[in-house]
Amino acid sequence: MSASEPIIRLAGVTKRFGRTVAVDDVTIDVPRGRCLGWLGPNGSGKTTLIRCMLGLARVSAGTIEVRGRAVPRDVREALAGVGAIVEEPRFYPYLSGRRNLEVMAGFVGHEAFGRIDAALERVELTGAAGTAVKKYSLGMRQRLGVARSLLTDPELLILDEPSNGLDPAGMAEFRRMIRSFVEEDGRTVFISSHLLDEVEKIADDIAIVQTGSLVAQGTVAELVAGGATAVRVRVDEPDRARAVLGALRFVTGVHASEPRTLDISLERVDDESSMALTRALVESGIGVAEVVQRRESLEERFLEITRGSEPRPQAEEGPS
Amino acid sequence: MTRSLLRTIVGRKGSFLGTAGVTLAAVVVVAVVLVIVHGLRPGRNPSIGGQPMLDGVSGAVWLLGGVGAIVIGALAGSYDVAQGTMRYLVLTGVRRIGMYVARTVALVAAVLLALVPALVLGLVLVFVLPSEPEAHVNASEVGDVVWTCILWPTVFAVIAMGIGSLLRSNGAAVAISLFFAFAAAPLLGLVSAASETLGNLMLLPALARVTGDNHGAPIAAAGLAVVAWVALFWCAGAVRISRDEY
Repeated sequence: MSASEPIIRLAGVTKRFGRTVAVDDVTIDVPRGRCLGWLGPNGSGKTTLIRCMLGLARVSAGTIEVRGRAVPRDVREALAGVGAIVEEPRFYPYLSGRRNLEVMAGFVGHEAFGRIDAALERVELTGAAGTAVKKYSLGMRQRLGVARSLLTDPELLILDEPSNGLDPAGMAEFRRMIRSFVEEDGRTVFISSHLLDEVEKIADDIAIVQTGSLVAQGTVAELVAGGATAVRVRVDEPDRARAVLGALRFVTGVHASEPRTLDISLERVDDESSMALTRALVESGIGVAEVVQRRESLEERFLEITRGSEPRPQAEEGPS
Repeated sequence: MTRSLLRTIVGRKGSFLGTAGVTLAAVVVVAVVLVIVHGLRPGRNPSIGGQPMLDGVSGAVWLLGGVGAIVIGALAGSYDVAQGTMRYLVLTGVRRIGMYVARTVALVAAVLLALVPALVLGLVLVFVLPSEPEAHVNASEVGDVVWTCILWPTVFAVIAMGIGSLLRSNGAAVAISLFFAFAAAPLLGLVSAASETLGNLMLLPALARVTGDNHGAPIAAAGLAVVAWVALFWCAGAVRISRDEY
C-alpha cells in the first residue's frame, strides 16, 4: 500500500439501529500522516462510525477500508496497526496501570511487552505505573488509554473524545502529545470531538458531521473561509451595490444586515477579493464608507453549518 | 492470552481470594469442631482425622468452593462487557472465539488455584490428626473426594461463565448462575418422574454418577450428559461473544 493512499476509506457507510439512522451515507478518505478532526454535536453518530471502522459494530450499508484492508472482513490485519480509545478508556480498576498494559500486551503479542515502558514514559505515567487504576484521575486514565493504544506501534490512532474531562493544563498537554504523534512519529490521528476549540488547535483537517451525515470537510482555513459573512461593507446605495456585487463571479451571497450595510459571502476571504469588490463598487459610482474583512471562528462556522441555514462550503474536495 | 485472562480473574480479589479464604477457613472450622466434639465425648467420637475429617473437607470444599466457583465463573463471563474492557480486548484483533476458549482455560485454572489450598490443608489434616484404625481412609477414597471437589465447582463455574457471557451485568450474572445451580438444576430432577432414563441424564444425577454415585445412567452416558450440559451453556456464551457489538 503506497503512502499516498488514504489510511481510512469510507464509502457510503450507513449504520441503522432499527428505524434510527446513526450514520448516514458517509463517504470520506482520510490521508496518511495528518490529524483529522471528526467534529459533531453530541449524538451525531461520531462514536458509532468509529465503532464500525474498528469492527466493533457492523455497518448496515457501505464499505470500510482501514490500512487498505476491508473491515470487518480483514479486521485482524486492519487492526494490527491501529490503536484506539472508544468513548472512554476502560481498564481493570483493581490492577495497576502497568498490569493493565501487560494484560493487553498478552493479547497483542510478545513484542508489545517491550513497548510498555516506552508507552508509559511517552504519556508520563512511569511514576504511577504501579498504582491501581481505580486511584487514577480521569486525565491519568486518558493518558493510560493512549499508552495502551501505543502497544501495537500503530500507524493510525483513533481517539474518541480523548480530552473529555481534562483540565486546561491537561488539555494543553494532550494537544502537545497528539501533535507529536503526527509531526514526530508520522502517525495518522483520527480524533473525534464536540470541542471545537480543541479540534481547531489539534487537527490539520476537519470533517463536520451532523445527525449522522458528513456536512462539510476541508482544512480549518478552508472551512472558515467559506463562511456566510466574509466581508462587510457600508455603502450609500445598498440596493444598487447589491446588484453590482451579485454580478461578481467570486461572490456567493449578499445579505443586508442593516439599512446601509451588506454582508457578503466570498469563495475565499483574502485581500484580492476585498479589493476587487471595492473596486467594482467604486467604479459603479457607489460611495463606500467602510470595508471590513470578517473571518469567522470555526465555532461560528460550525454552528452555521450544523444549523443547516447556509449553503455548504466550497472546500468539498476533502482533506489533502 | 490465557495468562493475561487468568491475571484478570485472579485479580478480582473479592471473588477469587474470597473463595480461597472461605473454603480454607471452612476446613479449619471442620477441624476445630471435630477436635471439640472429640474432646467432649471421646468415646462417641474417637477419631478427629481419617474418615470424619475427609467427610468434613468434602462437604466444605464441595459446597463453599462450588458457590465461590460459580461467582468466579459468572464474573469471568460478564465482567469485561459490564466494565467496558471487552471492546479493547476485541480491538487487539484476536479471534473472539479464541479469546473465549482462553478465558475458559483461565477460569478452570483460577478455580483450581482457589480450591487447592483448602483441599491440601484438609487432606493433610485427614492424615495428621489422630484417628482410630476403622476410620482410616485409603487412596481411592481420597481420590474420589478430590475428584468430586474439583469437578462439581469446575462444571458449575464453566456453566456460570456461559451464563455471564449472555449478560451485560455482573450482578445478574451471579444471581442467575446461583439460581440455576441451586434451584433450576435440582428442579430438573423432576423429569425422572416422567422418565427415569431421561431423569438420570439431568445435570445433577449425571454429575453425581461420574463422581462416585453407583446408581443412575451408565457412567459413559452420564459423562456425555455432563459434557452436553456444559457445552449447552458454553456454546450459548460463545455465540453471544462472537456476534455481539461492543
